[in-house]
Amino acid sequence: MSTIQFETVSIGDVRVHVCSSEKFKTTALLAFIAQELKPEYVTKTALLPSVLQRGTASYPTTIELRRKLDSFYGATLFGDVFKRGERHLIQIGMEIANERYLSEKKSLLDEGINLFSEALFSPHLEQGGFKASYVEAEKKNLKQKIESLQDDKIRYASQRMVEEMCKGEPYALFNHGRIEDLPQIDAQNLYTYYQEVIQTCPIDIYCVGNVSADDVVKRLERNIGDSLRQRRKTLAVPSAVHSAARKEKTVIDRLNVKQGKLNLGCRTNVTIQDDDYPALMMYNGIFGGFPHSKLFLNVREKASLAYYCSSRLESHKGLLIIQSGIEISNFEKAVDIIKKQLAAMQQGDISDKELDQTKATLSNQLKEQQDRSFELIHFHFNQSVLSGRERTLEALLHDLEQVRKEDITRVAEKIQLETIYFLRDQEGNANAKN
Amino acid sequence: MQKIEHRQIEETLYYEKLPNGLQVYLLPKPGFNKTYATFTTRYGSIDNTFQVQGQEKMSVPDGIAHFLEHKMFEQPSGEDVFQEFSRQGASANAFTSFTRTAYLFSCTDQVQKNLTTLLDFVQSPYFTDQNVEKEKGIIGQEIRMYDDNPDWRSYFGLIEAMYQQHPVKIDIAGTIESISKITKELLYTCYQTFYHPSNMLLFLVGPVDPEATIELIRENQSAKTFDEIKEIHRFFPDEPDQVAEKVKEVELSVGISKCLFGFKEGKDAVNLTGEALMKQELATQIVLEALIGSSSELYQSLYDDGLIDDSFGCDYSLDRGYGFSMIGGDTFDPDQLLQRIRDELPKRAEQGISPETFERIRKKKIGANLRFLNSPEWIANQFTNYRFNDADLFKIIPVLESLSVDDINRRMQQHIDWNRFAVSIVRPHS
Repeated sequence: MSTIQFETVSIGDVRVHVCSSEKFKTTALLAFIAQELKPEYVTKTALLPSVLQRGTASYPTTIELRRKLDSFYGATLFGDVFKRGERHLIQIGMEIANERYLSEKKSLLDEGINLFSEALFSPHLEQGGFKASYVEAEKKNLKQKIESLQDDKIRYASQRMVEEMCKGEPYALFNHGRIEDLPQIDAQNLYTYYQEVIQTCPIDIYCVGNVSADDVVKRLERNIGDSLRQRRKTLAVPSAVHSAARKEKTVIDRLNVKQGKLNLGCRTNVTIQDDDYPALMMYNGIFGGFPHSKLFLNVREKASLAYYCSSRLESHKGLLIIQSGIEISNFEKAVDIIKKQLAAMQQGDISDKELDQTKATLSNQLKEQQDRSFELIHFHFNQSVLSGRERTLEALLHDLEQVRKEDITRVAEKIQLETIYFLRDQEGNANAKN
Repeated sequence: MQKIEHRQIEETLYYEKLPNGLQVYLLPKPGFNKTYATFTTRYGSIDNTFQVQGQEKMSVPDGIAHFLEHKMFEQPSGEDVFQEFSRQGASANAFTSFTRTAYLFSCTDQVQKNLTTLLDFVQSPYFTDQNVEKEKGIIGQEIRMYDDNPDWRSYFGLIEAMYQQHPVKIDIAGTIESISKITKELLYTCYQTFYHPSNMLLFLVGPVDPEATIELIRENQSAKTFDEIKEIHRFFPDEPDQVAEKVKEVELSVGISKCLFGFKEGKDAVNLTGEALMKQELATQIVLEALIGSSSELYQSLYDDGLIDDSFGCDYSLDRGYGFSMIGGDTFDPDQLLQRIRDELPKRAEQGISPETFERIRKKKIGANLRFLNSPEWIANQFTNYRFNDADLFKIIPVLESLSVDDINRRMQQHIDWNRFAVSIVRPHS
């Protein structure tokens, strides 16, 4: 395996991580800005990446900015928000062609970094705030994004399950924020908020490509002014919510759907910062992460109840989420089979074959990520920045290889099913669980 | 084995056609961890009426190519082949499109074993009455999942609105009713017709040694016996130029409407192959991007007026017997959006595309091509798709460079024909 290393340099309190690799034909730039996930911030944070993409100091209109990117051999500029535990992350990214593979050989990196830095640090301003029409348009878009959650029933069910399970915890907040906050947001107060975020929240900037680390750092240094080099706050690494006192609950939502969406939420009581995290990854792999896992075999292949049935981890929050799409009348049958698989994991009903398959597929998955620049970045950011500890790929692969059946059973004992969520049709008795 | 060098993009491709007719392509990617392989048959959902040389003409139930794809994973041992791939650290999958069925794996270890598994499982069908019945429950849930998916419904709605006869209008998975008619005998017939090596292509991309790899493939294939190569004749009904329906609407439980629209190609612009197909495809993509892409004035004014959001995009498909553009996304007001399109798109088209706009978008497409070349999945799948139409993926940049602004404006005149315009809308329940 060819391994890839990041070189980390600090500019003020902004961390810059650069990885030089010859295998990509483009250069990837990605910035993460971390904010606490809180009701008073969530909608404003969610709004920032789309407003920042509307115009910069040098390219004040969106058309000018987009056309600049086009003529730049289709450089992409994108932005989004996501949650990692009780933290809300803004990401702004850019991907630029490497001129080595173009017939026109002028360097795109210099200008690329300038444009990327502008998008982050020098938005187009109007009367000391963001441009009002941009903010109003992006508020409308954000509202549309929030309302369209319902359109993708798999995502909708997953968000509803988390809302019910984590009621009262910040994690219940939707990453795109709340519609009710939008009327209070305007170009002035959003800009004030932006300044606070850009000057005080932790920022990590990544660059991956056929580039020299020195070059990238030098170019970024020119774009990171004094006001950005002050001391930044540190966000607490969230720890798992212990749920001993919580009881299992069932929540049923009704919409006009043909297929029922079943989601089960468990607390893992182990997170990415724990030594038991590799064992938790193994647990998830054996239980539901792959087509050789218990869920796929028992719910789909044996019982023929579903097309998909799988589980995934929210490693920073300590959740295990099970998802399946089933015939509405099969609700109880499916829950029963899934619970039996949870019980089997706790009883240590794990074969050597399952252990070997899961080690092999997990190691494959992790190594494959190294071939995609943005996944490479996310791996480093998750494992070595957000986790509050330094975990390299080699170390993680080594730890996974060492996991024994007893370790997985120990993790299994900590896993507690808390919420059974079912999205179903409007038919039948409204009170019956079917 | 033939060696084909593409100097500008620094890629070297190896090619060999085996005695049994199988086409093999190998693309070494030094520095990558992952090897990605696809084993693809030129057989998709549209191939529902066919005749093999010396046999009778047949029509088969809708959804059978996709059903067959599911069943290939079954093995006589009772263990599905996913288990074997997992043991060998690979992640395996398959998909069926209108024109292809592809089986694939990716792995970072044990490439030779996984490659052997791929070749062997696709070349040894095992269907029983019982395993065919069991699959109907699973695929039934797959169909239901798509029924509830508004993006899929609006996508397919537009194709249904455009096509009167061509089987592209039939959902790839079929319906719960049509798959109920599938039997193991029918599956074997389709398998024997379309899974002959001469109808298939193997593509491998990753840190592989081409000589050792081709040797393994040669040995694997020469140890198996196949029927002699027979010609497959596929039948497609005559498709009129007119669309089936001008507007197709459905109601679903959505928060926001989805609105897709586009132009169907007439008879004279489908059934292209080779460079002509690539030229038309790339030229049409440039036309769409220039008229209504994210850096166009029209896009920006619709965006500023709150009629579209960043889900708005455009796409173009061109394959055996069909071709269409597809434009749209989420909108609060599909009717007003369409009104604006009908009012403003003709004006923009009349003004034509300027040399500056053309140059800018051509650059954008060249850069996008480099971005895609980072992706082994994109290379393998798109290469196969092009190859099945006698075109060459690695010629995209030269073809882009050969286009002129006149080509683009001519293509625009041909494509933007309001008699072949159709619309698909998914609205919230009233």
